[in-house]
Amino acid sequence: MNENYSSILKLVSKPGRYCGGEYGSIIKDKESIKARFAFCFPDSYEIGMSNLGVRILYGALNEEKDIWCERVYAPWVDMEEKMRTYDIPLTAHESGDAVRDFDIVGFTLQYEMCYTNVLNMLDLMKVPLRSADRGEDEPIIIGGGPCAYNPEPIAPFFDVFSIGEGEEALVEFTKLYIKMKGDGTYTRAAFLHEVARTLEGFYVPSLYDVTYNGDGTIKEYRPLYDDIPTKVKKRIIRDMDKAYFPEKVVMPYIETVQDRIMLEVYRGCIRGCRFCQAGMIYRPVREKTPDVLNSQAKCLYESTGYEEISMTSLSISDYSKIDELTDKLLEWTNDNMVSLSLPSLRADSFTKELMDKVASVRSSSLTFAPEAGTQRLRDVINKNVTEEEILRAVHTAFEVGKNSVKLYFMNGLPTETYSDIEGIAEIAKHVIDEFYRTENRPKGRQVGVTVSVSCFVPKPFTPFQWEAQDTMESLAEKQEYLKTKITDRRIKYHHHDARVSRIEAVLARGDRRLADSLELACRQGFKFDAWDEFFDYDKWLAVFEKSNIDPSFYANRQIGLDEVLPWDIIDCGVTKEFFLRERAAAYEGNTTPNCREKCSGCGANKLGGERTWCPNSKTCLK
Amino acid sequence: MVSKFENLPEMKPCYAKKYLPKLPAPITVRIKFRKIGSAQYISHLDFQKSIHRIVARAGIPTWYTQGFNPHAKIAFGLPLSVGAQSECEYMDIRIDREISCEKIKEQLNAELTDELRVLDVYLQTTKFCEIKYAAYEIKLKCEGLSKSLAEKAEQLFEVSPLIMKKRSKSGEKEIDIIPFIKSISASYSEDDGIMSMSAILSANDSDYLNPEYLITAMRDRFSLLSGDPTKEWYSITRVRILREDMEDFR
Repeated sequence: MNENYSSILKLVSKPGRYCGGEYGSIIKDKESIKARFAFCFPDSYEIGMSNLGVRILYGALNEEKDIWCERVYAPWVDMEEKMRTYDIPLTAHESGDAVRDFDIVGFTLQYEMCYTNVLNMLDLMKVPLRSADRGEDEPIIIGGGPCAYNPEPIAPFFDVFSIGEGEEALVEFTKLYIKMKGDGTYTRAAFLHEVARTLEGFYVPSLYDVTYNGDGTIKEYRPLYDDIPTKVKKRIIRDMDKAYFPEKVVMPYIETVQDRIMLEVYRGCIRGCRFCQAGMIYRPVREKTPDVLNSQAKCLYESTGYEEISMTSLSISDYSKIDELTDKLLEWTNDNMVSLSLPSLRADSFTKELMDKVASVRSSSLTFAPEAGTQRLRDVINKNVTEEEILRAVHTAFEVGKNSVKLYFMNGLPTETYSDIEGIAEIAKHVIDEFYRTENRPKGRQVGVTVSVSCFVPKPFTPFQWEAQDTMESLAEKQEYLKTKITDRRIKYHHHDARVSRIEAVLARGDRRLADSLELACRQGFKFDAWDEFFDYDKWLAVFEKSNIDPSFYANRQIGLDEVLPWDIIDCGVTKEFFLRERAAAYEGNTTPNCREKCSGCGANKLGGERTWCPNSKTCLK
Repeated sequence: MVSKFENLPEMKPCYAKKYLPKLPAPITVRIKFRKIGSAQYISHLDFQKSIHRIVARAGIPTWYTQGFNPHAKIAFGLPLSVGAQSECEYMDIRIDREISCEKIKEQLNAELTDELRVLDVYLQTTKFCEIKYAAYEIKLKCEGLSKSLAEKAEQLFEVSPLIMKKRSKSGEKEIDIIPFIKSISASYSEDDGIMSMSAILSANDSDYLNPEYLITAMRDRFSLLSGDPTKEWYSITRVRILREDMEDFR
């Protein structure tokens, strides 16, 4: 860090975000490497440092001798102001070098509301926003992560997207770059064409032409070359036991959101909640074995000293070897004062035995997500949790000494009626009653229930991808109605801002024409839209109007089942036929069994995978 | 990822610590360390949290409190403000198993970077309340520096009163900082254009003077460091911690 940058750090809040020098950060000799990769997280340092995917990909790229991967975060607004005033470009965390001079710049796209930060960061790098305007000496801009499954609204800003799991794909991609730079065949156009032609799981948007019908819907996607795929198939890591695992991680010196060991137990989800994108795009389920997980956990404890291990996955209690794993971990964690936590428990698999093991003494609260207030609606969304199961789970929680429960719900789900909303208040009341029915409940403490209600956002690659989002007026009425139904002071009620959810829906299901709106938003200084204090709904509406975009077309329209969807260019493994079947089942109120009970033929098994639950896969766990 | 810790003699310190002989009663060791470069931007509170993890992964056999929520006891000497470096920070750790001071130093340093380095480890024999003064080296490079300005700076910090606004929990108040300055000298080098100052300031609990006040005073009185921060800089480094009798605190 040079002395001058140091002077800037004395003028901004939380300079620990920018100073670098963390234990475990990787410094390489610039002379000995052939490609410099800047891995950008388009949000603050505290959030970016908490992301497991970044940790994995940072490690995987740096395993390669020829590649030096560094981290980049979005500067907070006070820092950005100094950077703009004193003409300081965006720099990488490890070397402090300008990101603009890197070979490849990658963005992880975790949520739609970060898009304005992506553009703002490109602007701070002084790289042209649009792929078409970039010169030969400018870095290749690549995106990945869950939002890359519908990359269309941001497609014109990216040279290429990596679809699916990146630990192998990004290394192959960077190696191809090094090869073409080395043998002199590199030009931006030649490289991008070669990527699309030869590497699996890469989408180069500029190589596909989109045409539209008179009514604004998409007519077709046409590849510009006949040697590139008409549909880009996502990449997966087939054997999770053999997947790259970072033995050392960068240790932040300042407090971050997830300041603990994150032990990734498995990928995918056996459930098939019909609103949930993660449950679909990460299929098929692929488990790690308990022995591998135990040694990985030890390894991370050795290199971090964290006092908590969080077993992460979409639904941890669905892990088939959960008892064996927790037993193995407990053999050494207790001695070292390390506690275990299970962040994603389902009410139907919540047992006292499991609770006794994790006994996270530090928290007196537990969270469950019934998502909907009545059995009817829970069947529509395929949640497969009953009220009895929820009450049994909270009963157990109260027995082991908890006295507060958080319940997550969603408003605006397809077919929702006011009686479903009343059901939310009912469940909360029943949880309070259950507390008093629990004989050995914590004595002398007041019970508390927090009801947190978000708004349904239809997401690509879900059975509800065609559904219209409730209008804001309707969502606001529902939120108000629920407020009148919750009268007990022991029940706290929060709901999400419907205006944010609407913009999220527009961006989630958008097509390439939204890029004009996003560029305009960036020019007007939009940033940190995932943060309440910066999000401004009226400004978003003004931007859409100015760029001739009708947000209702994307958020509040029932999409025709035979329409070409912006994300049809991507193949996530799960078929459209499956989504259509699931959608029909939803409207009939029929549930679908989970992958462990019965295969529903979603199509993801064709991707392969070790220790999956797919019956047609050779190494099925059954 | 291989399970080398399964093999006892080659176990990592963080697992091996439980095989060390137990001490009859916990003892306190004092750790002297540096905090420079990037590490100067870690706030005191953040650093306190980090140090628990550093101590855990280094396998230091810390004594844990016996309460409902067991935690290691780590106490710090003087606070150090964000943006100030130090070559002499102190913290005390309670341990409950036999381990040499040399080994503690070695194991901690394996888990630290050069900017955060353990310099010395020894059994604690004094209390932090014996600290009376701290010595700082301050360097400035900016517009308007000269030999005569260095002389003017020395005078500025000699003549009482030098009234400055001090922010505290109870709001802003005005104080005279001169009584907190034990000694100060300033010099200017034509060769590199840097002004250097050595200052000894009060540093006990009741009258601690943050060295940043000296910078603020010069900024206010001489309009120094008011230009482009990418072209001007200053640094503050705490170099010694002293007792009442001006001997080094240990």
